[in-house]
Amino acid sequence: MKHLLIYLFLLLVCSCPTRAQDVVSTTEQLIADIFEQYTAESEESIDYDSFFEDLLFCAQNPINLNQATREQMEKLPFLSDIQIENILSYVYQFGQMQTIYELQLVDGLDMTDIRRMLPFVLVGEAGNMNKKIYWNDLLKYGKNEVYFRLDKGLETKEGYRFLPEEDQNQIINNSKSYLGNDLYNSLRYRFHYKDRIQFGVTAEKDAGEQFWGTTHKGYDFYSFHAQLNNFGKFKTVVVGDFRANFGQGLVLHSEFGVGKSSYVLNVTPRSFGLKKFSSTDENNFFRGGGATIRLGKLNLTSFYSNKMIDGDTVNGTFQTILKTGYHRTLDELSKKHTVNQQIIGGNATYTNMNLQVGITAVHTMLDNRLTPDKSVYNYFYFSGKKQTTGGISYRYRWKKLNLFGETAMTDNGSMATLNGCYFSPISQMSLVALQRYYSPEYDTFYASSFSETSRINNESGLYLGAEVRPFRKWKFAVYADSYRFPWPKYGIDAPSLGKDYLLQADFAAKRNVIMYWRFKFEEKQTNFSNSSSVMPVIVPSKKISVRYQLTYSYGNFSFKNVFDGNLVRKADSTWTYGVIASQDVSYVFHSIPLKVDFRYQFFDAVNYENRLYSYEKDVLYAFSIPMYYGLGSRYYLNLQYDLNKNLSLWFKIAQTVYADDRESLSSGNETISGNRKTDIRLMLKWEF
Amino acid sequence: MKRVISTFTIVVFCQFLYSQISNIIPSPIAIAQTSVADSHNWAAFNNPAMLGYIENSEMGIGYENRYQLSELSTKTGQLALPNSLINVGFSFSHFGYSLYHEMLLGVGFARNFSDKFAMGMQFDYYTAFFTASNSYHGAFIPQVGLSVKLSSGFNLGFHSFNPFQINIKTEFITKRIPSIFSLGTECFLSPEVVWRTQVDKEVSSNYRFASGFEYQMLQNLKLKLGAYGSDYLVPCLGFGFKTGAFLVDLNCEQHPLLGLNTIAGIKYRFGK
Repeated sequence: MKHLLIYLFLLLVCSCPTRAQDVVSTTEQLIADIFEQYTAESEESIDYDSFFEDLLFCAQNPINLNQATREQMEKLPFLSDIQIENILSYVYQFGQMQTIYELQLVDGLDMTDIRRMLPFVLVGEAGNMNKKIYWNDLLKYGKNEVYFRLDKGLETKEGYRFLPEEDQNQIINNSKSYLGNDLYNSLRYRFHYKDRIQFGVTAEKDAGEQFWGTTHKGYDFYSFHAQLNNFGKFKTVVVGDFRANFGQGLVLHSEFGVGKSSYVLNVTPRSFGLKKFSSTDENNFFRGGGATIRLGKLNLTSFYSNKMIDGDTVNGTFQTILKTGYHRTLDELSKKHTVNQQIIGGNATYTNMNLQVGITAVHTMLDNRLTPDKSVYNYFYFSGKKQTTGGISYRYRWKKLNLFGETAMTDNGSMATLNGCYFSPISQMSLVALQRYYSPEYDTFYASSFSETSRINNESGLYLGAEVRPFRKWKFAVYADSYRFPWPKYGIDAPSLGKDYLLQADFAAKRNVIMYWRFKFEEKQTNFSNSSSVMPVIVPSKKISVRYQLTYSYGNFSFKNVFDGNLVRKADSTWTYGVIASQDVSYVFHSIPLKVDFRYQFFDAVNYENRLYSYEKDVLYAFSIPMYYGLGSRYYLNLQYDLNKNLSLWFKIAQTVYADDRESLSSGNETISGNRKTDIRLMLKWEF
Repeated sequence: MKRVISTFTIVVFCQFLYSQISNIIPSPIAIAQTSVADSHNWAAFNNPAMLGYIENSEMGIGYENRYQLSELSTKTGQLALPNSLINVGFSFSHFGYSLYHEMLLGVGFARNFSDKFAMGMQFDYYTAFFTASNSYHGAFIPQVGLSVKLSSGFNLGFHSFNPFQINIKTEFITKRIPSIFSLGTECFLSPEVVWRTQVDKEVSSNYRFASGFEYQMLQNLKLKLGAYGSDYLVPCLGFGFKTGAFLVDLNCEQHPLLGLNTIAGIKYRFGK
């Protein structure tokens, strides 16, 4: 019966000649679109480098569905836990897949999901993952890649007006002036042999940092990584810079965080274990080594990290860890690598058919005492030189229920717990419920999990999400989240409440026409600034956001229209609005290896509360979600040209013009005179 | 002198009240000025993508008499020359009278891609006489446009006039040239009835929302009804008449404060 269905499906697929191009034409664009969906509602800067590199690596080394593990499938962030379970269960029940189109028969996967998966998966014979590697194979099939990127702003910023080369006294006179030129430059080298061996080097200089002079001799940031997978008992070995992610992220998750997004079912971070770090993020990684050993159903991991971090140290103490990675001025340089941080940690995970249980522990040591400048909101933030955190995580599948959770505790006795359940009563519907409680005293260095804010502390709440596919071509995603901050937070001087709701309707009208509508309502409490009361007064602030996106393609052209708007009301003031509307046109030449993207965008968000974010296409490994606040327009031209089989070039020029009569942009060293800001980017990729 | 002062006062007053953002951009003959998705007419200095749908050469003239004042009138001329590779259009517009006037000259290029969508680009030269410097000053302005037929009865249009916000700046004067972003739809409710909607935003002015219906009553007669709103709601009524190769259009717009605005156009379509 199964094979009959497959053949019928194949017949159907083959009988539909390809007339229109898919809306998403390249893997790079697909990855960017997935990331955009994740970050559309987020204001935090999320490490796109790692996200992009992981998925691009998956595209280069597709996951074999016939022998994929849950852990491997979790590398595809757009798949929900239920979908992963269903794929694994399908292969277990019916045996190996014969064709990729068999995915149509898996519960809970629609054509949009399958199209997203296609670049990253394959269906093949199950092979030996621990196959011996020979030097000849390494040299013959190993892939080397070099990436070189340059960014430059065309308008001169205030910080570059007097370079030290021009005026030697400048360094002495002004410790806040930029020491280097305004070029951003990064250089990366990568080697990989299938998914077994990976190593590489990254070097980066931010705009304003000196490349060669009194303060720098070369790049400001260097990173090296090496990772070996499936060597005998060793599941993973990492040396150099790496990241570690275990459980639900309450103890250790230094990777791309998940939270509330239009992927309403993907609410908890994925447990990747040890993983190389190859991004240009100068803060969120470990430096040292680690290994995971496979002992039957038990995986044991241990790692050690020793690295210098930035902080404003005074007499053996510092107030905060500086995470920007900028070392452009003497002031910033004086805080570079002033604190030594050592981390030792481990994890043991037991996995069988329906159960997974893990224990994670981390001990962090600093050579200077972290002493935050205490005020009410940060009263419980960690202070000291040492901290130990431990936690137990679980996953349990019981009939149609998938239970998951983690409970963690720090050495001061504070606790954080997160528990949830996935449930798919029918194939057209998937549900998730998640409860969390993070005590105000719980504050650990590398936690990242489901939360309203970026910190895992001082929060409790309940989240309910559902994804429904009631009709062909339609998908509805909805969530409701209600939360409470039992202790004051930054900008909220009293315990407060909040809630938010999201509804998104996706409609795939045709293969080449897709659209969605998104509606979001948020209500949270903030300080009432006009209050004359001695006691803190907090008032509700409401925000309504709507978005409509239409994507369509014809032949070599693809287009996108976006309308994004919001209404904000603070306390008893009136509603204020913000609007963005844009038109994108992309063209892929057939006669020459050239891709062109153009966008014209208009924005109108006079008040800061109405600020809007909008993703835009960029050069490889770069991702822009500029913030729009004010009145004006932005346009860009993005080109990709393959010079030959091994060499590719990306170029982008973007300009923002403000029409609200402002005479300068930004502030401090970043100040630009006039109402225009122009940026150019260049990226060169060499594969050999 | 009184005439000059009164005309100047009205021009300035109109800038604040009249929702069409610039006098120099001629109003299209589409009802309620919903031309951005009008796939059957190319209007000078409006969406250049519509030039791509033209199959036969055509020429036309237009006259817009704002509020019964000839000093506030805009005169337009346009010529479209289609060919197999790319359609070319020339357009000219003149606003004002001898003592104050602005002129716009444009050449546009557009192409229809398999009748699925059309894209167009126009390069304009704007010039005006400035008494402060006693000379003409001008600037080149681009226009970009797109029209997409999402289904047989539904079209989407996008147009941007002066997307780079180019202005004229001299030692004595700064003249803002409007920068307009327009999005609109065209929906054929039946072969005879078309419904258009449009949103315009000039970057420093209020939004303009417009909607209108055009009903082909008889083979030669079309009735048009619509409205647009910005600061005020402006009802619009018009008709179109066709005789041989000539198309005649007349639209009337009743501004609640400024009075009647009339737009007339004659177009001649050459045979193949």
